[in-house]
Amino acid sequence: MDIEVDNLTQVWGGANGVCALDRFTHSFASNRFACILGPSGCGKSTLIQIIGGIESATSGEVRITDPADKERRRQPLGGCSLMMWQNLNLFPWRNVIDNVAFGLEMEGLSRAVRYARAKELLASVGLPKFENHYVHQLSGGMRQRVALARALIMQRPVLLMDEPFAALDAQTKIVMQEELARIFEQTRKTILFVTHAIDEAILLGDEVIVMTARPGRIKEVIPVNLPRPRSQELVNSPEFGRLYEHALRLIREEVLNAMRQQEAVDD
Amino acid sequence: MIDSTSARRWKQVHRLHGLLPLLPIVLFLGFWEFMVQVRGLAPIYLPAPSSIARYLFEMIADGSLAYHLGITFLRIMAGFVMAAVAGVFLGLMMGMSPLLARMVDPWIAALYPLPKISLIPLLIIWLGTGEAYKIVISAVTAFFPIVISTFAGIRQVDRGLIKAAKDLGATRRQIQLKVMLPAATPSIFAGLQLGMGVTIILVVAAEMIGGSGQGGMGYLLIHAGQIMETEKVFAGLLTLAVFGAVITKVQARIDRWIAPWISESH
Repeated sequence: MDIEVDNLTQVWGGANGVCALDRFTHSFASNRFACILGPSGCGKSTLIQIIGGIESATSGEVRITDPADKERRRQPLGGCSLMMWQNLNLFPWRNVIDNVAFGLEMEGLSRAVRYARAKELLASVGLPKFENHYVHQLSGGMRQRVALARALIMQRPVLLMDEPFAALDAQTKIVMQEELARIFEQTRKTILFVTHAIDEAILLGDEVIVMTARPGRIKEVIPVNLPRPRSQELVNSPEFGRLYEHALRLIREEVLNAMRQQEAVDD
Repeated sequence: MIDSTSARRWKQVHRLHGLLPLLPIVLFLGFWEFMVQVRGLAPIYLPAPSSIARYLFEMIADGSLAYHLGITFLRIMAGFVMAAVAGVFLGLMMGMSPLLARMVDPWIAALYPLPKISLIPLLIIWLGTGEAYKIVISAVTAFFPIVISTFAGIRQVDRGLIKAAKDLGATRRQIQLKVMLPAATPSIFAGLQLGMGVTIILVVAAEMIGGSGQGGMGYLLIHAGQIMETEKVFAGLLTLAVFGAVITKVQARIDRWIAPWISESH
């Protein structure tokens, strides 16, 4: 799915409220992995929630179209995408398989069909033996896999990810990043991935959209032409180092800006 | 490596640890018995544990304890079930409909702090001193904590879970049944436990006031007190304490069985 975002602005709390997103304009191409990188509070989560039809924007427009559709009909927001949340939002009263099958249950599919699909998905994210566990019985990495399976089972062409790996320990994070890269290379979904980790953005993305401090605008779009399939070893390549340094310089400016803004508020 | 003798010793120590809570009880009863026997206190004021036990066994043997306890239990269940059904239902409706919540809220705010026991004279005028009055007074009392906890549980459901369910294609009705209701379960159970506690209190109190000749633990206590059978009063109190503890434990067991994710997730 091609996602065109046109002059998207989001103001929280009325006319004199906080401007989270300011005239954001960008075209996300079909079947590509876009990482949205920016300091805390730059509106990156707001952006993908609007694209996912979860929040509605103050002004501006999001057009999602199928490149295979000759007439370029607009897809309803939320209908072709699924969100993987920062805090996962798994249902604590459901065991793993019923969490994964939730979306299918809402569609009214029979239990046999749901469970068969859910089992496939759990196997594909490397979590085949924990169907009957509850969420609190799982480690952080396993919870991520459940949330990923719950999103993937819906087979929507767009996957929106809001800093899903932020809370993981360093080693688990590496494993999950490689897992996600593998899934992307197999399924070729259109992925919008919000993060504040520079290395993660470069490692996963086909492009990195660096955003400014609040109000969030695009500072620069960095194309990432590293070969796929990708793995953690890329981190040592000179090309990765060059991209990292470039992104770091941009982000450092914005983080300093964000801190100055914060100080101004505090004073 | 732990050799078998030291392992056995550890097991013994462990068993003793399990018995440790009993020690203060045994010491307390021993002290009590000793004081009564040595100081010669009148049994009307403070009977010895041994004579309380004798009365207790007599009441068990002649079936009077089971009779009174059974009557009280049935009244508690009747009042509790009425309060639970009405309270959970209204709490859920209020949680799902802000309009209803705003209409009902002043009533709850006004009636909840009212000591329900003060309704006893009115209820006796309306309903007499029979079963209806005892069940209604306990149901009315238990209703409030149940409806308030249920309503709070629904209102405090994590917005993130609702958004996630919506994103996964859940309709409004599905969100209510499959997200809000289970998410509020811990709160509902907390309300039911509070409700059960006050039901026990109110049933026993109501039996004391209007219950002449009709049985029940409250009647047993007040009657024994009037004829100065202090041993029977103590035996009745002990029975009520154990009965309350058993009900609480059973309720906790049922909670864990219905909602196994609660106890371990915190």
